[in-house]
Amino acid sequence: MTNRNRNIGRRHLVAGASASSLVGALAGSRLLHAQTPPVSPAQAFTPQKPRIRLQPFDLRADQITDIKVCLRPFRPMGPRFDVERVGNKLVFHNYGHGGSGWSLSWGSASLVVEKVSTTLQRKVAVIGCGIIGLTTALTAQRAGFDVTIYTKDLLPRTRSVRANGSWTPDSRISLTAPAGPGFADLWEKMARISWATYRDYLGLPGNPVEFIEHFVLSDRPFNTPHEEGPDGRTGDYASTGMPQHGTEFARYSDRIKDIVPTAEELHPSENPFAAPYAKRNTLMLYNFASYGHLLMSEFFQAGGHVVIREFHDPSELTSLPEKVIINCPGYAARDWWNDKSLIPVRGQTAWLPPRPDLPYGLHYQGASAVSKTDGLMVQAYDLNNEGEMGSIGNSFEHPDRSESERAIKVLADLFARSPLSEG
Amino acid sequence: MPRKFFFRLMRSGPLGAMALYVASASPLHAARPAASSIPSFSAEQAQSGADLYQRACAMCHGADLSGNFQTPSLKGRLVASWAGIPLSRLTGYIQRAMPLMAPGTLSPEDATALVAFLMRENGASPAKTALPVTEKRQASLKFPALAIQPDTSPSK
Repeated sequence: MTNRNRNIGRRHLVAGASASSLVGALAGSRLLHAQTPPVSPAQAFTPQKPRIRLQPFDLRADQITDIKVCLRPFRPMGPRFDVERVGNKLVFHNYGHGGSGWSLSWGSASLVVEKVSTTLQRKVAVIGCGIIGLTTALTAQRAGFDVTIYTKDLLPRTRSVRANGSWTPDSRISLTAPAGPGFADLWEKMARISWATYRDYLGLPGNPVEFIEHFVLSDRPFNTPHEEGPDGRTGDYASTGMPQHGTEFARYSDRIKDIVPTAEELHPSENPFAAPYAKRNTLMLYNFASYGHLLMSEFFQAGGHVVIREFHDPSELTSLPEKVIINCPGYAARDWWNDKSLIPVRGQTAWLPPRPDLPYGLHYQGASAVSKTDGLMVQAYDLNNEGEMGSIGNSFEHPDRSESERAIKVLADLFARSPLSEG
Repeated sequence: MPRKFFFRLMRSGPLGAMALYVASASPLHAARPAASSIPSFSAEQAQSGADLYQRACAMCHGADLSGNFQTPSLKGRLVASWAGIPLSRLTGYIQRAMPLMAPGTLSPEDATALVAFLMRENGASPAKTALPVTEKRQASLKFPALAIQPDTSPSK
């Protein structure tokens, strides 16, 4: 592989040895291979640029170790936060976070636990142990509650662990019109609390949460508007009950650009890929194995209890000893709470052997590859150029290997053409 | 998909006979005697459920009902999850939620046949009387606690 390496310019990593060591410190054991090129006399007056070594991923379909499919629990009006009485129980809902559950989990939990605190109860039940249920349980513990989680499955067998697990706080979280302007404020609050909470999980052994280099590549300039392929759809959510166009989906990320690192466009001389346009940013990842174990350990260490139980009807909650219940079922709310407002949005990831030595990711032509500690994750997030409308309403939670193979091929072809693959 | 693909499967019903053999040959099946608390279902009903299962459910839950890492098994833990719960709730859940890619496409008769099949595959024996289809009558019948019994076969 060595002769396939290529050093690329990293003007944005600042010049000099101190910058290199800073990068090393931030990246911890997964060093970004920062190094300074040897100085020749001809370059004596040229400012030195630190460089990273970028090796191509080994992207082949015969390296697939797992294919996971999830259904994002999308609600056009945003997540459900209302409070309901069932018999003598008070039920606080916390579900329906679309493609933003991992990202917004801590903020969402915080808002719900604030409300639950007004009940003056000491014990609380949490239904569900996906990422929303688990962070809600931990947040309730931190607020002084004795918490029991009632769930049919624990991580890693919940739907949450079939997501891609990266910072995507406004990915199919709502539609602008039905969510209304008030939700934008709520979203910002959740996003800020989550972002701040995640800082507490950085730099820990096993990298439960980490930042990696991420490249977004394009055949067209980034300032050209996204055009969805013609699909014959007419009307909108208000007239049909389903979103009909990508422009209906809410985008709120501009509200927090003061704290989230900005993507920067690479000069062609710095672009190591055979795509004419490239952007580089840092992406926050959640590594399911280490992060999941850490959260479960924290829950048990704080005295939390888990009861494995499947509920079939809301009336069964009346048999619980707790008077206050936080309902975090994710997509299962559609069946368990008969919530037909939930729209499934299918997502599939393929997992190749981990490459902790190559901590970066890339997006190109609707395919992405991201190096996580538990595997190299390949996702066909939009191969058909459908934008936000892709997989809306699709509840086929069964692996489609050909989809993953297509995504692998898109990226493998890119690497084959890219100069970083040459000698 | 896949709705279209799903309906094609529903019509054509491939794999049926072979997979059915696998399901019936399970040791779980042989080890369990019928108990008096088991709601009565007919052999025809269970067989109709078996045929439907192979077309509508086996793709995800597996021809032998064992599920996979992502999809629940319909043996073993199914008993723990549903024992003592009114059958109307189980048929209601099946109609409301399943199959996941096309919920709401199964009739009350379909769901009832599937429940008969699930009881048979978890060790219950069919009887003369068929399971009633109406919600009201199913509400008074409960999914049985079909515990695995000691294996008495000579070839263990």
